[in-house]
Amino acid sequence: MTTMRYDVSHRTRTRYARPVRFTRCNLRLRPIEWDGQVVESHAFHVEPRASFGEARDSGYAVNVTRMLIDRPAGEVVIDSRFRVTVNRPVPDVRADDPTVAEVGAAARASRDLGPTGPASYLFASPLIALDPAIADYCAAELDPARGIVEAGFALTRRIFTDFRYDGTATEADTPPAEAFAKRHGVCQDFAQIMIAGLRASGVPAAYVSGYLRTIPPAGKPRLVGADATHAWVLIWCGPARGWIGFDPTNDCAMAGDHIVTAIGRDYADVAPVDGIFLGGGRQKIDVSVDVAPIEG
Amino acid sequence: MRWGEGWLTDYRASAGPDDVLRGDEGRGGRWWRTLLDGIASVSGGDLDQLQDRIGRQVKELGTAFRLPGEENERPWPLSAIPLLIGEDEWTGIEAGICQRAELLEDILNDVYGEQALVRDGALPAALVTGSPHFWRSMIGVPPPGGRRLHIYAADLARGPDGEWRVLADHARTPAGAGYALENRLAASRVMGTLQARLNVQRLAPFFSAFRAGLAGVCHRDEPRIALLTPGRYNQSYAEQAHLARYLGLLLVEGADLAVRDNQLFVRTIDGLKRVDALWRRMDSRFLDPLAFDSHSAIGVPGLMDAVRAGNTVIANAPGAGVVESAGMAAFLPVLARRLTGEKLRLPNIATWWCGQPRERAKVEASLDQLVIGPAFSDRPVGLTNGRGVLGARLDDAARAALLAGMARRPQDYVGQEIVHLSTVPAVADGRLIARPFTLRVFAARDGAGNWTVMPGGFARLADDPDPRAAVMGEGAFSADVCIVGRQRVESVSLLPANVAIRRNPGTLPSRAADNLFWLGRYLERGEATLRLVRAALGGTIDAVGGAALVPATLDRLTGLLISSGAAIDPREDDGEAPAPDVRTLVIEALDGEGGASVRSLLGSVRAIAEGTRDRLSADVWRLVDAALPERGDDDVGGLLARASVLLERFSALAGLAAENMGRTAGWRFHDLGRRIERGALVCRQLRAFAGDEAGADDLTTLLDLNDSQISYRARYLTGLALAPVRDLIALDPYNPRSLAFQVEAVRGHLDALPRLRDDGMAEEQQRLAIELDALVSMSRAESLGTNAVMGIENRLMALSDAIGRRFFLQDNETIRAAGMTLA
Repeated sequence: MTTMRYDVSHRTRTRYARPVRFTRCNLRLRPIEWDGQVVESHAFHVEPRASFGEARDSGYAVNVTRMLIDRPAGEVVIDSRFRVTVNRPVPDVRADDPTVAEVGAAARASRDLGPTGPASYLFASPLIALDPAIADYCAAELDPARGIVEAGFALTRRIFTDFRYDGTATEADTPPAEAFAKRHGVCQDFAQIMIAGLRASGVPAAYVSGYLRTIPPAGKPRLVGADATHAWVLIWCGPARGWIGFDPTNDCAMAGDHIVTAIGRDYADVAPVDGIFLGGGRQKIDVSVDVAPIEG
Repeated sequence: MRWGEGWLTDYRASAGPDDVLRGDEGRGGRWWRTLLDGIASVSGGDLDQLQDRIGRQVKELGTAFRLPGEENERPWPLSAIPLLIGEDEWTGIEAGICQRAELLEDILNDVYGEQALVRDGALPAALVTGSPHFWRSMIGVPPPGGRRLHIYAADLARGPDGEWRVLADHARTPAGAGYALENRLAASRVMGTLQARLNVQRLAPFFSAFRAGLAGVCHRDEPRIALLTPGRYNQSYAEQAHLARYLGLLLVEGADLAVRDNQLFVRTIDGLKRVDALWRRMDSRFLDPLAFDSHSAIGVPGLMDAVRAGNTVIANAPGAGVVESAGMAAFLPVLARRLTGEKLRLPNIATWWCGQPRERAKVEASLDQLVIGPAFSDRPVGLTNGRGVLGARLDDAARAALLAGMARRPQDYVGQEIVHLSTVPAVADGRLIARPFTLRVFAARDGAGNWTVMPGGFARLADDPDPRAAVMGEGAFSADVCIVGRQRVESVSLLPANVAIRRNPGTLPSRAADNLFWLGRYLERGEATLRLVRAALGGTIDAVGGAALVPATLDRLTGLLISSGAAIDPREDDGEAPAPDVRTLVIEALDGEGGASVRSLLGSVRAIAEGTRDRLSADVWRLVDAALPERGDDDVGGLLARASVLLERFSALAGLAAENMGRTAGWRFHDLGRRIERGALVCRQLRAFAGDEAGADDLTTLLDLNDSQISYRARYLTGLALAPVRDLIALDPYNPRSLAFQVEAVRGHLDALPRLRDDGMAEEQQRLAIELDALVSMSRAESLGTNAVMGIENRLMALSDAIGRRFFLQDNETIRAAGMTLA
């Protein structure tokens, strides 16, 4: 296990057909502290000049920053930059892992109402309904007597194998049931389908937004800005093992290449930018993300 | 035999032993007999007719209950027979409700505060997080005013043993208090003094206590309190408008409010005005797109910032709904003992939450004796309609599906005992029949922060005689609930004593001003169209004593109908088409699909009035809401008759506005709309009929359209001449239908309305009004040709726009979710 160090830049540029007069936004771009990663520094650069409100507690493992621009703007650029070190082992399957049934029972009996307690991730959430078709599909890997980590790997592989990655097929608000029926989508769809299936079987599952280090093909240089935000799944594996991450888009567990930004019930809890603006007409959004490994 | 006696004998024989009337009589209660004797005398023994009269009263009062998805309101049928509850029995219910409301407050306080109940294992965390009304972001946010619950409602069932039990709790936006009020009013109109003879407790003190309670937790002594409605498409909008008017609260939508520097304001004609408290009638998730659901377009961005800063009281606090879940009821008996040291005075229906292993085993073992329901307001597997089912009624497949669902996610289910409901009398087919019922009771905090219970409420009666609560659904009727006693209820002593006298009606939100303005414009426009229709039809009749109008004048009349948008000229599409005949155009102008036909205008008027119902009297609403008169023959006589009937309706509305509306800013906007519209219409008519080429028929038509024949004849003995007619219609400030009169009135209104500038200078709309007034005053009839009139008309429209810019919400302020990004 090696320690990785990254410089990450996430730039959101929004252009409006007519200037917006007023913008009030929630930014969920400053990474949280989480097992296996240390955020060394973080800064926002916003054009035009914005004022930042005090941090809001959304109740989930999310850093919410309130941003206000109270002057007319034809274009708003939000640049989030941070440096992070990641040192996270690949999780292993153990003989004494709790079973799927035991995890469900422990979650139901939990006395933890905190932001990362299992109880908040046990139910349907605004964007993730417990669709019966997804429930049955995922239940095949979630036998009540099966060890939870093994089941997590199996379900990750099943979704990775059966679904096609298609960056153009879905939108941010495509319901999991629709992506499921078409058997394709982006990381958000993969993650939400897996979460719906886990919760339908009584297993607490959370939605993670973050970044993934991309390895360029052999002999090709790394393309700056071609990376993207990423999403995957955390499964609560009982009180002893806690939360373990699985990435159904890439058929792997969360480890040294994954940088966690925020954890919530679904995309709505962790959306990088949302809010309101006055005026403005049509908008065009460009996002560019760069995850640059640093030597040494 | 007297009717009352006969009904009683008949009813006693048909009702079961669990009936309220039979039970009360068995314990010596005499009130049902008094009621039925009284009903016998007011109805003359005809129960069906009594039921009809009640139905008419409900319609008169204009409060209709709307089910989700229904576009048109429908009256919620009110049973002619109220539910009577003796005051001794009621005292017990009151005590139980107050205890329960306080208990729920304590639980909320813990869930959103210390969370000791969860930490100690008294309340499973999943029971809290399972509720869709639990909002994590509210944890650690103390409620401004110190309380999360300000108003609360519970649904009660009366069991066979006469014991009352709680079926459900309503802690978010308890609906129905307004219907209780309306039901009482409708019933009292039919029953006359009967309620007084029964010593029925009055509802009004409860509402004043609630208002005092809200005011008491605000920072300011004379706080501004608003009722936040999701809008007129909400199923209980009519109730909300009624309550806002009754309680003296501002009725506002999200767009009426704004947050600046953590302070909540309402946008009024007098600028932003601070709001201290909101009675919200929408779910938490819609309240603030920045704090809850970012897609909400009906909320107030930043509202939660004002709450966090301690500046805005919200009744009830966001997140209060977490205590409503059926699963929560399972824990209340234990929590009551822990938090209040007492047992529940009003028991729950027995409930087992399947998220606990032992409880789940019990439910599975006794499925046939229980109702299985959703623990939260979700639709778990096997309960897809979201309601409870009787375990015994499940067929094998449904039972297997339910058990499979429970095996995967037991936390989504509860088992509940089967509740048998008592019955009360209702009217069907001219006789009394026994119907099962549930009762919704309301409690509110008073000025001292103590709970007070509305003496009465809202009973729902089932259509079906099956007494099991689980099969009742929403109910088919409502009934007034009367608390009866031995003591005479003094009506006078209940009136509050030291009320400070006010003559200023308070804040007028910009949206309300906008609505009233357009109400005035549309009403005036409709009236003018009807006058055109009448003149055009009359002009075709070549009758004894008056020849038809010359073709040129008739063409100008039909031309006005077309240019106003009321009717369409077929030649527009097809240049070869023959000129339309007057009858065809008139039929279109009255009932056509065009946006300016009288029918369409009345539709717009109704839509606007509905959005401003808290500011219109019941008489106005009734006229606006009434169906159009039946269409008769489409011959000239039939059309003339129809136009006259419609014109009477418009005149009645104009009369109500002139004679009954308080001279508030609201009335000024309504009148501004009328004056500006009438001014513009007069300009158009002047251009058509008083140009330099105008003939006698033109001038007489112009006088007719403006009701000015008599005025003209009183002034001029010479017969019709252009300049005098022009002067009377355009420039004479003593003629209430003249252009000059409208302009002067507009200027007067604008001078009386509030100004935002504090430097003493005129605002834009005032300046334009002054200029227009001067222009009209200095004009001379001889030189007032069509171009000069056109100039005045344009200035009038510019003035209307300036009024909109200054006073109304500008709808280009669309609020949208900003960019979302994903990979």
